[in-house]
Amino acid sequence: MMGAVLSSLLFLATLGLIFSEKIHRTIIAFAGAILMVGLGLLFGFYSEGQAIAAIDFNTLGLLLGMMILVSLLEPTGFFQYLAVWAGRLSRGKPVWLLILLGTVTTVLSMFLDNVTTVVLMAPITILISEVLGVSPLPYLMAEALLSDTGGAATLLGDPPNILIASAAGFSFNDFLTHALPVVLVAWLTALLLLRYMFRRELSVPPVHPDAIMKMDLAEILTDNGTATRVLIVLGGALIVFFFHKILNISSAFIALSAAAVGLVWVRPDPAVVLKRVEWSVLVFFTALFVMVGGIEATGVLNIVVSVLKKASTISPMLFGVILIWLVAAISAVVDNVPVTIALIPIIQGLGSAGMNMNPLWWALIFGAGLGGNGTIIGSTANIVVAGLSERTRTPITSSLWNRRGLPVMLATCLVASLLYILAYPLYAR
Amino acid sequence: MLIVERHVGLLPVVDDHNFLVGVVALQDLLSLELPDFVNMISEVDFVHDFGAVETIRPEPHLLDKPVSTLMQPTISVDEECGLLRAYALMLQHQLLDLPIVTKEGKLAGLASRVDIGAAILSRWQSLNASQP
Repeated sequence: MMGAVLSSLLFLATLGLIFSEKIHRTIIAFAGAILMVGLGLLFGFYSEGQAIAAIDFNTLGLLLGMMILVSLLEPTGFFQYLAVWAGRLSRGKPVWLLILLGTVTTVLSMFLDNVTTVVLMAPITILISEVLGVSPLPYLMAEALLSDTGGAATLLGDPPNILIASAAGFSFNDFLTHALPVVLVAWLTALLLLRYMFRRELSVPPVHPDAIMKMDLAEILTDNGTATRVLIVLGGALIVFFFHKILNISSAFIALSAAAVGLVWVRPDPAVVLKRVEWSVLVFFTALFVMVGGIEATGVLNIVVSVLKKASTISPMLFGVILIWLVAAISAVVDNVPVTIALIPIIQGLGSAGMNMNPLWWALIFGAGLGGNGTIIGSTANIVVAGLSERTRTPITSSLWNRRGLPVMLATCLVASLLYILAYPLYAR
Repeated sequence: MLIVERHVGLLPVVDDHNFLVGVVALQDLLSLELPDFVNMISEVDFVHDFGAVETIRPEPHLLDKPVSTLMQPTISVDEECGLLRAYALMLQHQLLDLPIVTKEGKLAGLASRVDIGAAILSRWQSLNASQP
């Protein structure tokens, strides 16, 4: 009992410190995980072996593999190439620039981490808008909002999806049939809403529409050979992802194999490539796994599950919709990764108590993926874009986000809820 | 404007007694209005036309800022300092101009990287000439 109380208090304190953002989340989670194991050993509720077993190596492997591939592709200029290509295609027309940059961001975020996507897209977007002589504001907001939206579509798009797929045993194709259609409608809704909300900014014609046509696409790709090789490897990996259930291999194995093939083919300086891997994210995930494992070991989550079980006399469909909005509301103010990692054992508990878990997993995916758009601090992508926008003449403020970002979050969650209800038999299967 | 008149990249700031208290750099003045994106992206070679950025005019209030808001602490050397130490300091700290102060810390002058580099070269030349 002592262990249950202590581990819960430690977990809540850690979450509180993470959300206060006074100290870096990785440092807090790391220290919290060590404390959790320490308490576990002291009070006999958690062993080192259990802590190691709590780490989801499938999630870590998939993240690491994708990070290595991105860090191979990043210095080739491929991402800038895509952005400038979209800019040229728009011929400097603001509405088209919004649609094209937004679409490139969405597509990239389906395969890359959302933060990586905006880190690559936002600076080049600021460059394009400054050169054109238009405010970068609508484009930057659209990129932050659409990267979160697009991320919900695929298994690779957002860490919560990787976590849930790993826990629920969902395949890459499950996401294509269950999440992608919903995200497509949500994406269209978001884009139309952005077009409407920024109609004033987008009606200002650019001062120098021809400047973008003078950006040389051929000069952007600094390393054509590497870009081609990595893209071929990524494409190959994607094809294997379609069949990973049939082949009975884990998604981590595919991503790590692709990373190995990429490294062998490109043969870069490994120190340089590995330096670009976001180790801080991987350590953060590992620490959270160890922490949640500790709480699980004390049986606290069973209490939460039994309380929820009593409340679940309502219809499972309504339960799912409530879960979407609840998770979205929490994800709007806090990082969706700790939320997801904490909710996974609870849903598993509900499952072993006899509830159908599948509709709950999908509700969690939609809520965690779309909720982050609610506030400026709702997702790391938002924080990154807002930070970069402070270096332009039109910084994104919290109140601006509440007027332009929150409506997008509400609209996309509404769309997701409606489609969830309409296609409930699909999600319940 | 002193920078335009004297064609220097650095303005030393002194107090009432001519003691050096800081510097205002040309690049900091320019970055008041120059967009920051150049620092955000890895290369700009492909941008052949900076379009609207070329025509940016700073807002008047930006230029009315007091010097103290732009002033930075500085690295300076005294008059007796060797040429190579001065040059090494400039390389290490990526300075283009170096304020020279007296032993008491009063401003004596300003040396550019070209000034110091040229002095080193001419000393080498004279050394070579004296030792055939």
